[in-house]
Parts: sequence; C-alpha cells; structure tokens
Amino acid sequence: MEVSSTALVLEGVCYAYEEAPREAVSDISLTIGEGEWVGVTGPTNAGKSTLCLLAMGLAPHFFGGRLKGKVTVLAKDSRSVSVIERSSEVGLLFQNPFTQVSGARERVDEEVAFGPECHGVARPEVDARVEEAMGLAGITHLAARHPMELSGGQLQRLALAGLLAMRPRLLLLDEPTSQLDPAGTAAIFQVLDGLHRRGTTIVMVEHRLETLCEVCPRVVAMVAGRVIADGAPEEVFNIEKVQERVGMPVFTRLARARALPRPWPVRLRDAASAFAKSIA
Amino acid sequence: MAGGLSLYAEGSSFLHRAHPLTKGVLMLSAVALAFIAPSVGWVIAILLLLLALVTAAGVLRRLLTVALAILLPLTLLLLAVQGFANVNNRTEAFALGPIVYYREGLAIAALAALRIACLVCATFLFSFTTRPADIAEALMQRGLSPRMGYVVQAALQIIPQTLDTAGRIQDAQRARGLETEGSLPRRARAYLPLMLPLVLSSLVATQERAMALEVRGFGLAVKRVARFDFADNTYQRVLRWLLAVAVPGAIVARVVGWR
Repeated sequence: MEVSSTALVLEGVCYAYEEAPREAVSDISLTIGEGEWVGVTGPTNAGKSTLCLLAMGLAPHFFGGRLKGKVTVLAKDSRSVSVIERSSEVGLLFQNPFTQVSGARERVDEEVAFGPECHGVARPEVDARVEEAMGLAGITHLAARHPMELSGGQLQRLALAGLLAMRPRLLLLDEPTSQLDPAGTAAIFQVLDGLHRRGTTIVMVEHRLETLCEVCPRVVAMVAGRVIADGAPEEVFNIEKVQERVGMPVFTRLARARALPRPWPVRLRDAASAFAKSIA
Repeated sequence: MAGGLSLYAEGSSFLHRAHPLTKGVLMLSAVALAFIAPSVGWVIAILLLLLALVTAAGVLRRLLTVALAILLPLTLLLLAVQGFANVNNRTEAFALGPIVYYREGLAIAALAALRIACLVCATFLFSFTTRPADIAEALMQRGLSPRMGYVVQAALQIIPQTLDTAGRIQDAQRARGLETEGSLPRRARAYLPLMLPLVLSSLVATQERAMALEVRGFGLAVKRVARFDFADNTYQRVLRWLLAVAVPGAIVARVVGWR
C-alpha cells in the first residue's frame, strides 16, 4: 500500500492521567501514513490503549490530565476537533465490547445503525451501510437478536460492525479479537485485510504476536509508555530488548532455541523454510 | 444475558400495526376514564372493551397469565379490607360469627378492583403490542430531543442489564466461597461483597459507554433522520383526538352531575 499522506502523527507526546503519579505515555513520536496497517504491542501498562485514546481525542478531552506535544489526526490538531466531530472519520473499538453497544437498541441491525443515524446519514444509505457492515462482520444472521443476548465474541463483532457502518478513514482497534475463537479471529482479520486494501488506515493493539506478524506490515513495540521499536515485524522481533521485554512469536522463540542463524523468522511460512534449511 | 425490559409479543394485528401514539393515548385515556367513571357498569364496559382489544391483538392468554398474578391477590385484599373495615359500612351482607361483612365495602372494593383491572389491561395491551424502541422513536418524531429519546430507550434496558451483572457477580463471589443463601444475618453479610462490585462496575461501564457514545457521534448537531415511518392515517388521528378530548369531557360530566 502506497503511503501518500499522514493519518496519525504524534510529536513528542507525553500524557499523564489526572492525579496519576507517572505518565502513561512518554515522549512518543510516531507517524502513521494513510492506508497503513500498524500493530501495537507491549506488556500491561505499556500505554497502548492510551495511544488509541489520544488518537481518538478521548485523552485528554474525556479523562482530563496533562498532554504535552502534538497529536495530529487526519491533518487536524487533536485539540481543534471534538471527539464527536472526529467520529465521522475516526473509529475506536474498545477492549470491552459490552460497553461499546449503545444500550438503547433492541435489535442488532438497529444497533449497527446507531452511529450513522447520529451523523444524520439518509435512511437508504443507513440501510445499505448496515447491511454491508453486518455482512463484513459476519453477523447478518443475528440481525433480529437483542444485543444483550449475544455472546462476548458476537458482541465484539457487533461493536466492529457498528464502527464499520460509519466508514471511518482511520480505525483504532484495542484488542479487537480478545473474545473471539480462532475461527472468529481469522474471519475478523480477513475483514480488516479487505478494509486495509480499500485504503482504511488501521492501528491495532494486539497481544497475539503470531497473528500480529501475519497481518501487520508494521509493528510498534511499547514498554512503560515509550516506543522501544518500530518497523517491520521481522526487524522488531529480532531486537534483543523487544524479545526480553515484549516477548516474541513462538516461531522466533523456537528458532532462537534451535540456534538458527539470524534473522529469526516471525511468521509460520518463514519459520517452515528456515527449519527446512537447517535440517537440510 | 438479559434481553431487555420489553414485554412485546410478536404479532401482526391491527393493534401491533397501529401508531405507537394511538396506542399510548388509548392506554392513558382508558385508564383515566376507568378512574373517572362513576359506576361499576361504566368501568365494566371499559374493561370489556379493553379485553376485546386484547383478544383482537392475540395476547389474551398472555395477559391472563400476567394479570391474574397481579389482580387476584390485590382483589382479595381489597374485598377483605373494604368489606370488613370500611368506615361507611352500614348494610350487612353476611356474618362470620362476630365478624360482619358489609355491602357498601363490597361495592367499593369491586369498583376499585375493576378500575385496577382496567389499568392492568390497558398497560399490558400497550406493552404487548408496542416495542419500547418504537415509543421513543415516535416521541422523537414528535419533537422529543434525541438525548431524551436515548434516555427513554436506555432506561427501559438498564434494569435487566443490571440484574444480569448482579447475577454474574453473585456467581463469581459464590465460586470464591461467599455464602449468599441461608439465614437473614448470613444474607445480610453477603450484601456488601455483592453490592460493592456491582456499583463500581456500573460506574466504570457508565464511563466507558459515555465514551463509546461520543465515539459513535451521539450528540452531534445534525438534523435527526427518522428510523422508519409509522403507519398513520386520518382515522387514527381522529381517534387520538377523540380519546384525548374524552378525558376532560368525562371530568366535566362528573362535575356537572354524571352519576
């Protein structure tokens, strides 16, 4: 995907939540081009979710606290645009899908329509978007169900469909498949791949490193509020500091344990060929 | 998980298809008229009309199941209290040893019970044939702000959601050995470990949901687009006006001597 302009730029960003003793993110500078698919990973309290909140504008708008530096989202300074206004171009999927649903709709299809309706989208267009978003998220068969009757995985798909119906240019996903089974996870990543091909920028927080390496052409590794590595997955997970503090995909660990020559593979297909070579 | 506070029963009767406001005005007027009407005969007429509508909507069996559970104990209580203890009791109906049951009390209890039956029938007729989301939508189409519309819709969902969360917390606490059943002191001791996580999780969920609503553009200053058009026609509009006018009309009639 050719990167033409920037979707998200953080310049020397430091942010601390109100009354927090330390900064949640410290001195982050990051440029994400439009159309990129970037995976963000790191241990607990690395600042990954805060990064999403900053990009959406919820921090500091909603949480208060101290923000230093500059956050530019789709060429607009985060301080100049409210979260509600930004929601027409940027979508954020929260970790907990239960709180992402509006809590006011009695049917899944009506829930998906909530966002476009809030934006005053014309009725036929809303219907078309709802149908498309439910199809992409694989929940068309659940259209008549009550959102609160869905399982965690189904709710996660519903929350994603609700965002897709708003057709955002920048999609911020905070662990989008945390409640999905392997088949559901694969299906969602297929959807995201389709969106990525259509030009949607995706910033995705993910703990499953194997999955991250398979789908994201670029990975940002964070620890204690700082970016410690940024680049292609095979570069990032071959850095000693990342391996120690963030972890590494199981293939990389195996290759390291078998003392294969560097760089160690991070994807299944690369691992298969590396091990085949070593056996040969 | 909990489904919602909706009692709506799927159906395609003319009442299911009627405009929510028509059904709302019908419910309110029927209840008001039942309480304004001066005699048992009038109240029975209103009750019979409501039961006919309930039957036409195909929800009679469902109504009887729910309504009897409410009305039966209430009616027995009214009959006992009024028949034995009303201060206006004069004429003996029958005696149980030293305890006398009076006709005046019986008449008062019957009128009160019939009025409550009208209230229950009208309310359930409305609830069984109208989805809560349609009520809010119809009100928003008549000028209610989207924020208030959201409040109406969310309020109808929040109780079952909270009960669901409470159930999950109770299960989790039981799994950790908390005794939630047994004697009153034991249950009282279990109250705090159940309530504290419920209140805290509700507060967190409220904060997260507020954020999620903003992220979806809730509150954006745009012209609201109607989700769907309700079937409405001149007959329904005339009926709504007639029912609405009937209530003050009945009050005036009572004042000038309707007995």
